[in-house]
Amino acid sequence: MVGLSLGEQNFIKGGIAQDLRTDGRNRLAYRPIFVETGVIPQASGSARVKLGATDVIASVKAELGKPNLSHPDKGKVSIYVDCSPTAEPTFEGRGGEELSAELSSALQRCLLGGKSGAGAGIDLSSLSIVEGKVCWDLYIDGLVVSSDGNVLDALGAAIKAALSNTVIPKVQVAANASSDEQPEVDVSDEEFLQFDTSGVPVIITLTKVGKHYIVDATTEEESQMSSAVSVSINRQGRICGLTKRGGAGLDPSIILDMISVAKHVSEQLINKLDSEIAAAEACDEETEMDC
Amino acid sequence: MAGKSSATPTTYSPSLTGQKKKRPSFLTDSDWVRPDGRGPHQCRPAFLRTGAVNSASGSAYAEFGNTKVIVSVYGPRESKKAMMYSDTGRLNCNVSYTTFATPIRGQAPETKDLSSMLHKALEGAIILKSFPKTTVDVFALVLESGGSDLPVITTCASLALADAGIMLYDMVASVSVSSIGKNLLIDPVSEEESYQDGSLMITCMPSRNEVTQMTVTGEWSTPKIHEAMQLCLDACSKLGKIMRSCLKEAASGPQD
Repeated sequence: MVGLSLGEQNFIKGGIAQDLRTDGRNRLAYRPIFVETGVIPQASGSARVKLGATDVIASVKAELGKPNLSHPDKGKVSIYVDCSPTAEPTFEGRGGEELSAELSSALQRCLLGGKSGAGAGIDLSSLSIVEGKVCWDLYIDGLVVSSDGNVLDALGAAIKAALSNTVIPKVQVAANASSDEQPEVDVSDEEFLQFDTSGVPVIITLTKVGKHYIVDATTEEESQMSSAVSVSINRQGRICGLTKRGGAGLDPSIILDMISVAKHVSEQLINKLDSEIAAAEACDEETEMDC
Repeated sequence: MAGKSSATPTTYSPSLTGQKKKRPSFLTDSDWVRPDGRGPHQCRPAFLRTGAVNSASGSAYAEFGNTKVIVSVYGPRESKKAMMYSDTGRLNCNVSYTTFATPIRGQAPETKDLSSMLHKALEGAIILKSFPKTTVDVFALVLESGGSDLPVITTCASLALADAGIMLYDMVASVSVSSIGKNLLIDPVSEEESYQDGSLMITCMPSRNEVTQMTVTGEWSTPKIHEAMQLCLDACSKLGKIMRSCLKEAASGPQD
């Protein structure tokens, strides 16, 4: 990214102070969101989300596995994000590793909840097939294709869309398996279960520039930020995760204020995202019926 | 090591403002009885010492109950030749676990994640402009992991940086709160962490009243977050005072 001159920096900061950003948006307005589902046919579910020039793809793959010994009645979910060199030339090889690790851990924090499994956006008990022996392992992979700021929000939206697009095959367990043997499971090719995504939260990143907060920052605006707070909020308005990013310190009252602003913005974003996902799914079904 | 100290163990239990009773009563859920007999808003006694590693520019040892961490700071020293010129200093953090730190051998958590979180927690407090072109290395070694690891690592690292003479805006204190059912437990041990429904960790600079890092996991309602933040900030300010008194002791000690 080309460096910004002093004049450009002042222009960005001044615009934000006056509620008029460089692309004409308000401080709390998102860029147009474009959602496309079913982009990866081999995956159990997938979605592509474009937030302005930020482009991310999320894919969900479900495989049979053994549950964790400490939680025998729950399935496993693992989230991993990869930053592709097409987004930034610096991401090639190990350059993007730090950002990938940060995004992966932020997403895990927002979607998987506490260690006991409570408050998770994804209901892990629904992934269990035979308690203690067989469960579904969900591998959620995110790929950053093009990065123009606010990658975390786009990934959160893409994962939500990919999960609503996910179909998990119905499994029949052999009834006469003895208790200590691995039971035989028959994975059905015909029948599928739709994944329940009403509880999956969205992630809202509030970037503090000067004295004001903006939502959905572009790369230029992010370069001027002092700090950012990413809040994950679900449909009921409860906070499912929070990460503060950025080096500068923040007054605690400002963090609480940011949480309430994020809550206010989340209502509109959840509705918008749900309608976009529904439209994408409907579009997907139409193309399927045509062939 | 804690048994050898002559001073009484110092503790930094916070006081919940606006609430007189120390133990909140719960109507539906049963009270969580803490394994070490502490109250829900009572932190473990803190044992802090500087100068643990002689060969390092600065070092500190922290013992909070069963969590024992040693941090050594090297620097400011010359940046690697491969790195570009930078007119501000650089901070490099590394967290590692000994193989015997966890109850099951070799079961250390993701240290890369912890290293980057330590980096973020400290970079807001260090005056990087004071050592341009050079790097400060912070190496943290967890000798025993007894719960609430990252807050202890951050606190100990900040003490080691002060011992090394690196210019800081303020001491960095860190505390975490675990939510189990309706209970809010401050400074959890590993057993409580494994049952927790959610956790909130705050790293702050007590005198400046600034939060450098905050992470929340699990489902929280806004009033609960308010309450947990208040608890943590209160405990952090008390912990900050304990850290300062430890540094003063170390500075005045050799002169006797």
